[in-house]
Amino acid sequence: MSDAALTPTAPTRIASWVVICFLLLPLLVIVPISLTDQDYLSMPVDGISLRHYANLFTSREWLWSFTQSLIIASISTLLAVSLGTLCAIGCWRLGNRISEAVRLLMLLPMIVPTIVYVLGFYRLLVDLKLLGTYLGVIISHVVTGIPYVVVIVSTALASFDLRYDQAARSLGATMSQSIRLVLLPNIKAAVASSAIFAFIHSWDELLIVLFIAGRSIFTLPRRIWDGINDKLDPTMAAVATMLLLISAALLFLDLALRKRES
Amino acid sequence: MNFTHAVRDVFDRPVRRLASAGQPALAGAISVENLTKTYGNAVAIRDVSLAIGSGQFVTLLGPSGSGKTTVLMSIAGFVSPTAGEIRLNGEPINHLPPDRREFGMVFQGYALFPHLTVAQNVAFPLRVRHRPRTEIEDSVRRALEMVQLERFADRLPRQLSGGQQQRAALARALVFEPSVVLLDEPLSALDKNLRHDLQAELKDLHSRVGLTFIYVTHDQQEALAMSDEIAILSEGRLVQMGTPETLYERPATRFVAGFLGQSNFISGTVEQARRDAFAYRAGATLLSQSGGPQQRDGDSVTVTIRPEKIRILTEAETADNRLESRIASFSYHGGHYHLQVDVEHVGRIVLDAPTWRREAPSIGQSITIGWDEDASVVVAS
Repeated sequence: MSDAALTPTAPTRIASWVVICFLLLPLLVIVPISLTDQDYLSMPVDGISLRHYANLFTSREWLWSFTQSLIIASISTLLAVSLGTLCAIGCWRLGNRISEAVRLLMLLPMIVPTIVYVLGFYRLLVDLKLLGTYLGVIISHVVTGIPYVVVIVSTALASFDLRYDQAARSLGATMSQSIRLVLLPNIKAAVASSAIFAFIHSWDELLIVLFIAGRSIFTLPRRIWDGINDKLDPTMAAVATMLLLISAALLFLDLALRKRES
Repeated sequence: MNFTHAVRDVFDRPVRRLASAGQPALAGAISVENLTKTYGNAVAIRDVSLAIGSGQFVTLLGPSGSGKTTVLMSIAGFVSPTAGEIRLNGEPINHLPPDRREFGMVFQGYALFPHLTVAQNVAFPLRVRHRPRTEIEDSVRRALEMVQLERFADRLPRQLSGGQQQRAALARALVFEPSVVLLDEPLSALDKNLRHDLQAELKDLHSRVGLTFIYVTHDQQEALAMSDEIAILSEGRLVQMGTPETLYERPATRFVAGFLGQSNFISGTVEQARRDAFAYRAGATLLSQSGGPQQRDGDSVTVTIRPEKIRILTEAETADNRLESRIASFSYHGGHYHLQVDVEHVGRIVLDAPTWRREAPSIGQSITIGWDEDASVVVAS
């Protein structure tokens, strides 16, 4: 095949750029809005200003939401990664039809519409008296975060020879020694990658929190949501920009991890 | 090569220790009793029984799907048998997980841990046993010396050649002084010349360390060259077990004769059955065969004969069975010619004839072939 055949034609190139802009512009438009000198959501009029960022970093409410989100996302990530990784390892080792079914079951939170899931969570947490508690939110985020972990770790394990585990066991390693000393070191990049996705999932999750968080828990997405309903404060654009930057940073980190692994 | 020397240095100590414990004859004896494994309706192995003596080199040989790997994996503890018992020195071990069986194992493809160096790989069995650090370093160094990999201690497995990986896997399987070593086609990934060298090394190592080796392969030559005993499996059953010589010279069944080297098969009807010999008729040809008090006139019988045991006869030479034949094709193999000849009533016969002092054969040439009545064997068909 010649190089010419690989070079896209002009219409293809234009179409590609249109798609890219379509995807990115709505995201990027919040950046100038966050720099507005006005008191409501708008483009800058007389010049740019950083006062909404100043407001964000001095407002107790926003900082408290930031902290809450960080705590919830961190604990959820830790739990989702531990449980999801163990589930993926178990399914990989069994390698039979039951394990296929379990893996499919684990994907349900991804497949079932979130709103349907949230109604279920609501009922369950009412009965468990966990409505409006950190624990309730964390449980929900763990359950909905596990699919990311199971999918990513299972993919890594699929190319990992079962014989390494057998070799470890035949050489005297217990099951937990084999997991700790052989399995995990070889899939650590995938585990880290799954942690990033589980973290982002909890970090920008709104729907579940709206239903079950009660009065005390205001994660960042929820405070933005409330802010949009109450008043059109440009601080929200500043928050959104920060969220965007953090998510982008995490994704680039993931990319770097994968690159180093290969 | 000071391989032998290094091995003696390393293994003198543990071997002597076993001997002083007063039961060297028992250590490492494996018996497999009526082992059966089914997966749903599929039978992987059916009623396999084997007795493997301490210090023996026993090969499980069979085509793929014969169940040889299932037997090995059952001994290792990775396959739980549907029925039957596995014993180590008389004690049942079915209930023990693989890590409690203390068998060294070399896997097909070696399964060296890719994230650990050669030295760390070899140290692994000692590390999981929480041995003191100085003892680990000492044992690893000696194990690497034994397989001549001292210089490669800090390399990763992927930086080693196939032969070096095989040696590293062997060092890892031996470093914790197991009484039994299980090897699953350890040479199958190597090219032919290297394979040959490593066969000799492995055999040498076995006789030095005096451990029980259970070896799985589908390579007949490898099995013949290395084993004290060979167990031949086919379709999940043990067909015959014995020394390489017994299996080759006295195959019990048509399968064994055909699988272990090349064989001709001649079917006929028994006539003139006597106490120690009989004659059998294939078409109009009457052939004689020694051994066979169990044969009666009128029985149908299958006789097998190896290609190298058939001679090309001159006018003056005699043989118990003398047949006229015509050369259908031949090939030259350096040391011998491999000929395919057609014999009336008997059919196609293959034979190997030494090349030394012999004219080159030609297609269509008539030759007289023959063999003595004790060169061929009766097999169950």
